[in-house]
Amino acid sequence: MDFLSQLLPHLVNGVSLGLLFALIALGFMLIVGVMETINLAHGSLFALGMYFALFFVAPSLGWFPALQAWYMGLSIEVRYLVALILAPVFVGIFGMLLELCLRRTYGRDPLYGLLLTFGAALVIEEGIRVVWGSSEKQLALPQAISGAFLLGDLIYSKYRFFASGFAILMILLLWLFLQKTPYGAIIKAGAHDSEMVRALGINLSRLRLFVFGLGVALAAIAGVVMAPIWGIRPHVGVDAVVPAFLIIVLGGVGSLWGAVIAGLMVGMVVGLTGAYASEWSLMSMYLLFIAVVTFRSRGLFGKKSVLDV
Amino acid sequence: MSDSEKPLTATVPQKVASTDSVSSSRRKLLKGSGLALAGAGLYGVTPFMGPWKHNHLWAQSGQKKPLVIGLTMDASGQYAASGAMERLGAMMAIKEFNDKGGVLGRRIEAIHIDTETTPATGSRVAERMITRNEATFLIGAVHSGVSNAISQVAQKYGTIFLNTNSSSPTEAGKDCHRTKFVWDGNGTNFSNAIVKNAIKSSGRNWVLLTNDYVWGHTTSKATRAIVEANGGKIVEELLVPQNTRDFSSYLLKLQQLKPNVVATAVGGDDIKALRQQVVQLKMNERMAWINNQQDWPDVYGLGPEAIFGVFGTTWYWRLELPGVKEFVAAYQKQFPGMAIRVPGNVYHNGYMATRELLRCTEEAGTTNNIAVIKKLEGRKMSALDRLQHFDAWMDPVTHQCQQTIYMATYNDKPAEKDDIFKILTQADPKDVQDMAAQGACKLESYDATPSYDA
Repeated sequence: MDFLSQLLPHLVNGVSLGLLFALIALGFMLIVGVMETINLAHGSLFALGMYFALFFVAPSLGWFPALQAWYMGLSIEVRYLVALILAPVFVGIFGMLLELCLRRTYGRDPLYGLLLTFGAALVIEEGIRVVWGSSEKQLALPQAISGAFLLGDLIYSKYRFFASGFAILMILLLWLFLQKTPYGAIIKAGAHDSEMVRALGINLSRLRLFVFGLGVALAAIAGVVMAPIWGIRPHVGVDAVVPAFLIIVLGGVGSLWGAVIAGLMVGMVVGLTGAYASEWSLMSMYLLFIAVVTFRSRGLFGKKSVLDV
Repeated sequence: MSDSEKPLTATVPQKVASTDSVSSSRRKLLKGSGLALAGAGLYGVTPFMGPWKHNHLWAQSGQKKPLVIGLTMDASGQYAASGAMERLGAMMAIKEFNDKGGVLGRRIEAIHIDTETTPATGSRVAERMITRNEATFLIGAVHSGVSNAISQVAQKYGTIFLNTNSSSPTEAGKDCHRTKFVWDGNGTNFSNAIVKNAIKSSGRNWVLLTNDYVWGHTTSKATRAIVEANGGKIVEELLVPQNTRDFSSYLLKLQQLKPNVVATAVGGDDIKALRQQVVQLKMNERMAWINNQQDWPDVYGLGPEAIFGVFGTTWYWRLELPGVKEFVAAYQKQFPGMAIRVPGNVYHNGYMATRELLRCTEEAGTTNNIAVIKKLEGRKMSALDRLQHFDAWMDPVTHQCQQTIYMATYNDKPAEKDDIFKILTQADPKDVQDMAAQGACKLESYDATPSYDA
């Protein structure tokens, strides 16, 4: 009983961590699933989301002091909400511009797309350094979701619960969008057979543009949500793209629920090993990955082998 | 592209082949992306070659051959921020000498290649700088594994290497070398200065939070020994893999263990994330926190609430000592608009180490490595000259600089924005010396060290 009461907080923590991992992987999953493009800039766009959020929460508008004073006069709750909405929008638009560059690589060796997004990642990261500098930044939070609360004998972070709840909301919204709207149906059809979609008169270029923008916006949302937990620094994207890649392969390329379940598994494994065998906490996700892919190369919910995407 | 500008790492396949088969190309895509992801931490490892160019025009111009110094600082990875600061420190010292005409009448030329906070890269960079760039000296390290790797290569060639900011006790202990000089305080120095007082003031039950690599292990080992020798008890040691960003499971575990004191040996981006998450849970109010050493770039910009606990450092920009204000002003003049507006311990170490090496070269009257090594060994440096409270010296047995160790905490009454540390006390280097290192360090003989004149 004592063991169980000790274990329970770690299980809760594992689920919370898993939801955050799933949130980080959603945009990556969407782009790989529909466009078959490994977006190596995912992590940098995740970081860009953090920095845009920083801008919208505490902008530095030196040329417009009156505007800055008015904006900073708004409550932190309003500014945070603006950041949560506008940061993904702006990063999503940036992502659409990136997709326009990617078009030249369609139909060619996929390594071209890989190299282009790799290069974009470098440019974005250096761009962040130039604009915001390389030092650590912090995102201010509304009072309601910052601080801690006591449950039993343990303290929990309010923000972590908010972030987990937000991750659930985003997963559900994405699922509803893909399952219940005609746009979602087109996206899924595009993932299944893009040529047939084109033959039906649907503008494939526009579809890809939209999907890429949406995937990038999701990366930015994850960045905004993770900013108070991981901290904001230009190279923080590296910490996001590796687990995102691992989760989509583990869950099955193109599978929303695969990504969610894989995220939860990774979160649980990392959380439990962090508590009971801490030196294995990072390694554990890779061991899980090897264990699953060895016996099921298409991942948990993938319809075909990962090598035949 | 000149040799010095070529990237050292290829994280993506260099050859792009066409294929008729879609499935084959997709397979390549996944393989390629896997390679890219696995390749040393992806784009965070961007090699930075610096704006300097090493060339041989001096030979045709009749000028004296420049003295090449290889800067082996991290520009990416866990210690990118500290690597950047110590590079500025070294460059400042080099600039000062160049403004005076260089060393031995020779202009100093600095080349920098990113060591990526990765030991294997450190080895490769050191090998390249010595054999291809003809570097006379190598300067720079924050990560102990990287420093150890560089120093092995340096010893092989007899090249003098300054470990500017890596503070594992092994660096001047079992991994010491005749050609390596360690300029930072080490984990044992800091533990000696902090632990006794913390047991008295906070309690006997301790948990160690240890970065899972050589510096973390050796620092925690030193802390454990001092805690136990003073009647304290290590309840548990939790190992933190490098690049850990989520500490929630550790913080839950700490709450369950309920120690009096948490002693962390966690550095770089890891400590930044840890500090933020501790504050979110207000765990800084529940137990005492000690961070063995707190590097300035790791804490700058975190905000006052995240600077909790007691920690060690070797220098602070508001020490009330002669010359400190001028030193800070010189930094601000030379590097205007920096995100880190005032220098910290990492910059100070980089500067002092480089300046002392160049002074020794001048005094030796030659670049012969053995002559310069002999000048460095046992060298006395006055407190006034080093802008610290006590005189320092280069231990001839371990090649570690014995210097003032400061205990600090958050400054709740800052005189200005960047006045974030409150210095609690300063320890005389004699009182906090790492005596175990003297037994562990076996320097190679002069004869066994290759000799050269650059």
